[in-house]
Amino acid sequence: MERFRIKSAAVKSDGVTLNSVLAELSRRQLPAGGWAALRSSVLASLESTCLTTLAIGSDDSEEARLAQEFLVRVQNPNGSWPAFFGDDQDGAWVTSLAAIALRDVATAIPARLSGIHWLMKCQGREANWFWRWKFLTADRHVRFDPDKFGWPWVPDTCSWVVPTAFAILAFSQLPCSCGGLEDVPLRVDLGIEMLMDRACPGGGWNAGNGVVYGSTVAPHPDDTAIALLALNNRTQHPVVQASLEWLERTAPTLTAPWSLAWAILALAAHDRAVGPLITSLLGLPDLSGNADTCTLALVCLAADCDRALASLGVKL
Amino acid sequence: MILSRRKFVVGAAALAAGASVSVPFFLPKYHSDRRAKRSRVAILNVEQYSQRIDEVLASGLRLFRINVQGKTVILKPNLVDYILGTAINTHPTLVLAAAESFRRMGAKCVIVAEGPGHQRDTELVLSESGYRDSLRDQAINFVDLNRDELVRMQLRASYMGMKNLWLPRTVLGADFLVSMPKIKAHHWAGVTLSMKNMLGVVPGARYGWPKNILHWKGIQESILDVCATIPVHFVIADGIIAMEGNGPLNGTARPLGKIVLADDPVAADATCARLMGFEPDRIVHIREGAKFLGNLSLAVIDQAGEDPKPPTTPFRVVPEFRHLYAL
Repeated sequence: MERFRIKSAAVKSDGVTLNSVLAELSRRQLPAGGWAALRSSVLASLESTCLTTLAIGSDDSEEARLAQEFLVRVQNPNGSWPAFFGDDQDGAWVTSLAAIALRDVATAIPARLSGIHWLMKCQGREANWFWRWKFLTADRHVRFDPDKFGWPWVPDTCSWVVPTAFAILAFSQLPCSCGGLEDVPLRVDLGIEMLMDRACPGGGWNAGNGVVYGSTVAPHPDDTAIALLALNNRTQHPVVQASLEWLERTAPTLTAPWSLAWAILALAAHDRAVGPLITSLLGLPDLSGNADTCTLALVCLAADCDRALASLGVKL
Repeated sequence: MILSRRKFVVGAAALAAGASVSVPFFLPKYHSDRRAKRSRVAILNVEQYSQRIDEVLASGLRLFRINVQGKTVILKPNLVDYILGTAINTHPTLVLAAAESFRRMGAKCVIVAEGPGHQRDTELVLSESGYRDSLRDQAINFVDLNRDELVRMQLRASYMGMKNLWLPRTVLGADFLVSMPKIKAHHWAGVTLSMKNMLGVVPGARYGWPKNILHWKGIQESILDVCATIPVHFVIADGIIAMEGNGPLNGTARPLGKIVLADDPVAADATCARLMGFEPDRIVHIREGAKFLGNLSLAVIDQAGEDPKPPTTPFRVVPEFRHLYAL
């Protein structure tokens, strides 16, 4: 486990916990190279595989090499990635995550580029004039501006906060907008506008419904954190400020590691103090016994948040 | 009249084209009729969530011929999200009481399983809504259906126009599946009852949060296709504190003081709808479900416990569903 570089003081004091989580992740790797969503499962999930690949780092370990090869192998012919091994459809959010997870892998550049091109073609259903017109005239129960669209979870559905934020993070890692990717800045700007539009009135985000039938819907810590990661260079925007304040108030109350880990990453990305939160996270009981593999990966990423933010393309 | 060969061919082609367009509208959209000759429903009066629920539920279950001896029982509560002070979710006290009852009845294994539709952090929903500690204390396993291993299933009805859905292995492997909804008004479906509750089995890790594909394919249609594919064997509906108005998240608590038990999801939902002051056959998925999933008519429902009397004031709903009110 030496390859996992521990930087934070809080982490150094509890390296045992972190090492046990990393060892558990290592145990859970499937022979084909991926990771399943749950400990009990043998079906490789792309989100688990991408987050764990980021958590174990991009060095030359056998686990990392197997994981990267697995990711390249299961890519769909159209450039997208499926939600899990054997799936028959494209998943927009996992395509973004795969592009992020393969960032430093030279042999995966063609795979990553074709994923990015697929993402450029993928858009929320409200991008179509007919549905936009419907949402502007007949179907107005959810308050949102359909002119501002981002990315759906899966094709042929609306834009939602998390897949849009992941796509923005994936695009932010591109060295340039060239070679057929000239429109990337426009899509990213539109995605950022969409995130601002879908925020909850008091700050923060949930899946993407801030107001429904005139009622305010509460924000979620993880959705808020993921949106804030994508908006890491918009710290001064009033929506981002309100959301950061909400997340800063909420994070110390969290006892669920998934949400707490995302909150740590987002607050660190916006230069807020996270030491006590990392201590709380690593102090949660039986972390390595958590059945959810994504949660374990997130714990490792949050515990070494500087490296994790660099991997996610968040510039500090 | 002399019919030339050319006219005959043109006429036959027109007839075939017409038939191919119109016949699908008249053919049933379900593959098999699962209705029992008679269904049984029991309405139990329970004013609050307390330890007493154990005894009330156990005696209520004795009104049915249930055999779970040596079987795997899956309890599917309605866990959508957590908002402090609201009656969004099936209360954990009722779920624990059900687990205890089925264990006493000889179940090999009782599992609580759900895939929250709005909140990605299932563990957060479990801990905030009081499930996590209670389940651990009672040594009851919980399976996150949003992330469970998936099996591609051919749908046994074709209301939403999809042939297959990826569904969780845990639910497909259940010997006895119990839908445990919170009785709620719902702004897209009219109501959340035992059939609507089954949309929680559709995995977020495949279809996203929310499971938006189901909205695009039609919520009523999705409910029918999912319920046709995954049979509900029993219903325990939580109406002790129900929800009216802008459900499933932003409605207001409505004390109803009832638990509804049934061996048929359509009969259960029709009964709950009556208790809410609605005409059940005005709710699309209940009306259509009554053609093949269960019984709606009072004439074929054996009623135990209380009668399904409508309330003095019906449940409030969003304007689009005011047509549900019984006259």
